[in-house]
Amino acid sequence: MICENCKQRPAKVTVTQIQDGTHVQRHYCEKCAQNFHPFHLDFQQDPLSLHQLLSNWFGAPESAQVQQKQQLQPKIPPCSSCGWTFRQFLNEGKFGCAHCYESFREQLPSVFKKLHNGNVKHVGKAPGKFGHKLQLKKQIEAIRTSMQAAIGIENFEEAAKLRDEARELEKQLQSGGEPPDVN
Amino acid sequence: MSIERFLNNSVTSWMADEGEHADIVMSTRIRLARNLTGYRFPLSFSENEALQVDQAVSAVLLDAESELESTFSYIDIKGLSTLNRQVLVEKHLISPKLAHSEVTGSVLLSDDEAISVMVNEEDHIRIQCIFPGLQLLEAWHQANNIDDMLEKELPYAFDEQFGYLTSCPTNSGTGLRASVMMHLPALTMTNQMNRLVTTITRLGMVVRGIYGEGSEALGNVYQISNQTTLGKSEEDILTDLQSITEQIIQKEREARNALLNTRPNVLEDRLYRSLGVLTYARILTTEEAGRCLSDVRLGIDLGLIKGVDVSILNECMIFMQPGFLQKYAGMSLQSEERDVFRAKLFRERLQVDNNLNNEGEEPHDV
Ligand SMILES: [Zn+2]
Ligand SMILES: [Zn+2]
Repeated sequence: MICENCKQRPAKVTVTQIQDGTHVQRHYCEKCAQNFHPFHLDFQQDPLSLHQLLSNWFGAPESAQVQQKQQLQPKIPPCSSCGWTFRQFLNEGKFGCAHCYESFREQLPSVFKKLHNGNVKHVGKAPGKFGHKLQLKKQIEAIRTSMQAAIGIENFEEAAKLRDEARELEKQLQSGGEPPDVN
Repeated sequence: MSIERFLNNSVTSWMADEGEHADIVMSTRIRLARNLTGYRFPLSFSENEALQVDQAVSAVLLDAESELESTFSYIDIKGLSTLNRQVLVEKHLISPKLAHSEVTGSVLLSDDEAISVMVNEEDHIRIQCIFPGLQLLEAWHQANNIDDMLEKELPYAFDEQFGYLTSCPTNSGTGLRASVMMHLPALTMTNQMNRLVTTITRLGMVVRGIYGEGSEALGNVYQISNQTTLGKSEEDILTDLQSITEQIIQKEREARNALLNTRPNVLEDRLYRSLGVLTYARILTTEEAGRCLSDVRLGIDLGLIKGVDVSILNECMIFMQPGFLQKYAGMSLQSEERDVFRAKLFRERLQVDNNLNNEGEEPHDV
């Protein structure tokens, strides 16, 4: 069958329209069918089809091998919050809930590597309290380095002072990262 | 603010003919994906969760209007007809996914339509800012402000390793998608697009024709956006996109000059023929309208066509889509009928523009 619109390309898409209560079937080629929804900047679409990518990844030639591997590995338990399995995540190309990230933490770096050009760790903006936590961690690390240096030159008084400072900051970190004078 | 205004007016802020390199970069968009802790993602959550998320997010945003210096209108998606949803999609104010949503979801729109916050799309929160021309940093600052404000009041799902936790792993990390919409007629005419797309893709960016992947771009309009969201800071993402965009702008300008220098009268003839089609045709398919719009726009940019306002072309680009056409006609239309109405619309708009004595009425309010 030939496209009803351009009368050139083969018709591959059947569009059912409802006209005065009766169904009318129209046959278009892919190109013409797309034109009926022009300028649809489908900006929510993923830049690359994750589904496609993952299915290529677990594609036919490799699948036997992968299945074997998975049998050898201990079974990954489903997400305790939404019930999704890792397999379901791969099939849908989506997470069911934020806790899925925790549930599949060990498996995720290999997925992210493929999707994000080899990257596996977030760099950039963080919500305020996480930002504060990261800062605290860096501060503690810096104090520990100075403490080691102080020990190196046998300035134990200074080292003890730094140790107490680091402990104080660690307490803050454990209590959720809020400095004691705020709330 | 009446919701009708968003639906009847085809003019929206990102179409203004302003911003840097506005002759080539039509608009800049920043999108941030965010989720709340304590609720499953929209793909798997319950109507009850949807309702709670919707209430929490809209309350914060409507409360912070003065702080943000913009007024927001809350639009409940379930309360809109299919046609009205389509119109919002055609204006790029909501996504097709939100338009088809079956659970409670909404969009909060700023009066100038530059900011839209979608609730319960693929993620709980999608902050979107669209600016005319090339304005990546400006759009980012706007989106970032709203994000800061929401973050103060709402518990975001975040992880030190994976960043902002999003439903789709292609958004994990910064949750940032930055994109520019570019009109590239000269690169297309001189057959340079394929090679350029390959290069851009290799640099970690995604190029697509305005209505989907793989197909020829309608009206020579392309969208270029970042692919990586994890392991790259917001600044780096924006800087890289900016520099690639600037290089494409330069290549497009070179190609335009080359076209103008080799056979100026052949080019001028082609561009004016397209203006003729848009002004006088009785049947206009989207394909033809897209091609002619691109030609006329190029003619204006090159100074060959005078007396036509680019913002009218931008408006027509939105208005020629099925949803708007049907609102204009006041009835549902089959595709062939749409071609007739599309031609009528262009005739009216372009002649209104030619006739400087018109009284400035808005002929398209249905
Ligand atoms: Zn066809
Ligand atoms: Zn889960």
